[in-house]
Amino acid sequence: MNRRGLLALASGGVAALALRTRPAAAHGAAAHGPVLIEMRGSARGEHVGFAPLGLAVAPGALLRFVNRDASNSHTATTYHPSLFDRQRRIPAAAAPWDSGLLLPEESFEVTLEAAGVYDCYCQPHEMAGMVLRLVVGRPGDPGWEGAAPPSDDLPEAALAALPSVEAILADGPLMPAGLA
Amino acid sequence: MLIRSLAAAVAVSCAAAFAVPAAAQDADLSKAPPPAPYAAVSSLVELPDFLPGLGTLYVDPETLPAGPFLGYDHDGKLSATIYMVPIADLEAGTAFDDLAVGAPEVTSVDIYYNAGHPGVEEPHAHVVLLHDADAKARLAE
Repeated sequence: MNRRGLLALASGGVAALALRTRPAAAHGAAAHGPVLIEMRGSARGEHVGFAPLGLAVAPGALLRFVNRDASNSHTATTYHPSLFDRQRRIPAAAAPWDSGLLLPEESFEVTLEAAGVYDCYCQPHEMAGMVLRLVVGRPGDPGWEGAAPPSDDLPEAALAALPSVEAILADGPLMPAGLA
Repeated sequence: MLIRSLAAAVAVSCAAAFAVPAAAQDADLSKAPPPAPYAAVSSLVELPDFLPGLGTLYVDPETLPAGPFLGYDHDGKLSATIYMVPIADLEAGTAFDDLAVGAPEVTSVDIYYNAGHPGVEEPHAHVVLLHDADAKARLAE
């Protein structure tokens, strides 16, 4: 595995383990491998987004972000004061992460342990509404922390694009329009 | 005296009207890499060397965000000149005048919206001047 970087983060134990990989590693998922989240874009860059943009997973799930956009770079970045001084939009018990810019076919992995709602964004495309909401566990789970309220810290397009927790739990993975 | 002054004024006006920025006028931009101050976009920001639809891009960083960006095909032939114009700037009344061109011959122009990318992160318009009839095909992938 050609690892580009390794970032281990802990919060009350192992809250998150993140690593960034080169293209070859993106195709090496095991049978019960990571949950795939793609960063997509239309050919001319009119539309960009995470696919899915809303997803529910169990605590301990390993996520793999892969940039499938041949013309662009993307990040998966959590909203957190330690990352570009943004308001926290992940559970207090969770560790923040930032993939850094991923070139086409590069990937990044992170394991989520703390129950609650995680909002993430793509740094160069937040203004275009490229955001992602992850629901880890379910309301009522130990330590559960629900979605952060709407805030002026987010661009209008980003706020509008975040799906509701209820929709994610009821409908399963939500795919972005125009990027099937 | 008056005629001479007028002639001089007309000459200055004509020169201004048809002025071509130095980078396009004096340097040979037809083959990659173009001379400094142009630099590969992939060396300035985290983007692929070759961008499908635009080619291998070079830009003078001083001209960001509008450019011009020079787009070269896989053989290093100048195929397109691209401008990236933020929508918000246009809405605010900003004009982008007298932009340089990579080559004087333009066979067609494409204009389309782009949601952003490293280097020009705000939503913007791509204005793509194609310099020959086959350029779009060579830049496609």
